[in-house]
Amino acid sequence: MENFKKRKKSKLWLTIAPLYIFTLIFVGGPLIYMVALSFMSRAEVWGIVADVTVENYTKILEPIYIETFVQSFKLAFSTTILITLIGYPFGYFMAKLSPQWKKRMMILIMIPFWTSALIRLYGWIIILQSNGVLDKLLMGLHITDGPLKLLYTYTAVLIGMVYSLLPFMILSVYSSAEKLDWSLIEAARDLGATRWKTFLTVTLKLTLPGLLSGVILTFVPSMGLFFIADILGGNKIVLVGSLIQDQMTKGRNWPFAAALSVVLMIMTSLMIYLYRKITHTKDLEGIL
Amino acid sequence: MRIKKLAVLAMSALLVGGLLAGCSSNKEEKKELVLFTWEGMFPQEVLDGFEEKTGIKITFSNFDTDETMLQKLADAKGGDYDLVIADDYIIETAIEQGLVSKLDKEKIENFNNINPVFQSQFYDENDEYTVPYGAGIPLIVYNPESVNFEIKGYADLWNESLKDSIAITANYRVINGITLKSMGESMNVDDVDTIYKAGEKLKELAPNIRLINDDNTQNALLNGEASVAFLYTSQVTTALAENPDLKVVYPEEGLGFGIMAAFIPSQAPNSDEAHEFLNYILDPEVYAQCIEYIGYYSTNKAADDLVSDNLVLPDDAAEGEIIQNISAEAEEAHNKIWIEFKSECE
Repeated sequence: MENFKKRKKSKLWLTIAPLYIFTLIFVGGPLIYMVALSFMSRAEVWGIVADVTVENYTKILEPIYIETFVQSFKLAFSTTILITLIGYPFGYFMAKLSPQWKKRMMILIMIPFWTSALIRLYGWIIILQSNGVLDKLLMGLHITDGPLKLLYTYTAVLIGMVYSLLPFMILSVYSSAEKLDWSLIEAARDLGATRWKTFLTVTLKLTLPGLLSGVILTFVPSMGLFFIADILGGNKIVLVGSLIQDQMTKGRNWPFAAALSVVLMIMTSLMIYLYRKITHTKDLEGIL
Repeated sequence: MRIKKLAVLAMSALLVGGLLAGCSSNKEEKKELVLFTWEGMFPQEVLDGFEEKTGIKITFSNFDTDETMLQKLADAKGGDYDLVIADDYIIETAIEQGLVSKLDKEKIENFNNINPVFQSQFYDENDEYTVPYGAGIPLIVYNPESVNFEIKGYADLWNESLKDSIAITANYRVINGITLKSMGESMNVDDVDTIYKAGEKLKELAPNIRLINDDNTQNALLNGEASVAFLYTSQVTTALAENPDLKVVYPEEGLGFGIMAAFIPSQAPNSDEAHEFLNYILDPEVYAQCIEYIGYYSTNKAADDLVSDNLVLPDDAAEGEIIQNISAEAEEAHNKIWIEFKSECE
């Protein structure tokens, strides 16, 4: 019997092995390569040379590169704030709908995911461009006289970011709010708490894991998302993501790109660490 | 038991190995040519014509950027690909890295059709390695309806009346280069201080910039998003086809141009076929078809009469300068002033 169990166990290991090997090769490998690369130097013309140096990291401290991190942070921060303001009430009230409407709303949120994000962004170009859909509408209603310059502005980038990442917040808050025991809210009200106080002490507290995981799920990607700023912002906002891409391709400075990536990864890992500390959970609410 | 386990592992390893082996080309009797270049570089008729004429099957392999090409070619140690078409500056590097083989000109009867203006350039001074395929000249194009003065050169882009209305390409060596040109300097200046000075000047351009983009930049001009654009040749051609009223400016400070050229990698598996293909595309009629298709300037003198006028280099345009590889230090400075410039735009 004992032997049989053992055998079963060893077989199980074999079934999981491919997954581990896959992770090791395709996640661990590149990661190690990237970290190693970040300590090398670029060759004069092409490629890299194995001169160990920390110069790539000290270079990040130069004002222009610090500025790109600040820019990325600012954009991620404003995106997250806007998404929280829209997504939290959305997810919360969605959880209060009847089961049938919940299903319908869920489908409406999921449908855009069937189309590539890039194509949906091009849809925004059609809406925002001069003499585009929005311009024509505003002029038709005599609100504006001529075409506005909406595309290739910071606002356009914000719209694109919020649009792309909003579902993650809605879904996280929704899954938290759905688990909420509504009788607790009734109890709080019965015991004399005002609506506002009930919200702050009961509702918000209990949906906090969902809210925070929504914040993580929007903030972390928005630190790295650069194609939205490129497409809707006309390439005029320099974010860490676009800086890394530039260094990889036109700049031909792979070690510096690797160093930037390492710093970005450390920063985002820190966010997730903080999330775990605050909520005492390991998994992100709503997605996992 | 242990042996069985090992056998399972070995089996799985074998399977994976088999998968990888499947990637390498299976040998066929038919002659083959692996062409490595950007997408959309040849009209289908030309490729079909070659296959019909010679029985050589063309396999297309694409890259997005010159850098990717060089990386892949370096990984293959100059093998895998038979013919590569890429930009001038990267070819210089490829030759330096020993990834390019010398041409056997006896096998290319049409070699003399090449316009000498595009030969003996910095990347291949003795014309040993390359055949130019087309030339690009980034030019200023503007809409005279929304610009109230005549644009003559790069310096006019700094004009205050063009606030928030210029679309430019995203290649920093080119944009920094025209800034240097507007200051009377060479695009390939190696002096870091001069580059930083150009950076300061470039920052002053920021308020006029509406869009920085490499792909389909001409659209911004066509849909009214911008009234002036600095475009690559193929984009100029597209823009003019769409709106013939647009004005093209050959900047008075001098042109920057680039040459796309073909070369055969050092370990090309089908070198003979590659020579045959080079000879085929240098044929004036075939070449004219190609150049009309890609919309670049003709580098084939014998084909010039068959090509639309706007794709033949004007006589006074020979004063161009090609962007070349510069020292890592200077490159770094270019990179920096570009990021600073972009942060300044908004």
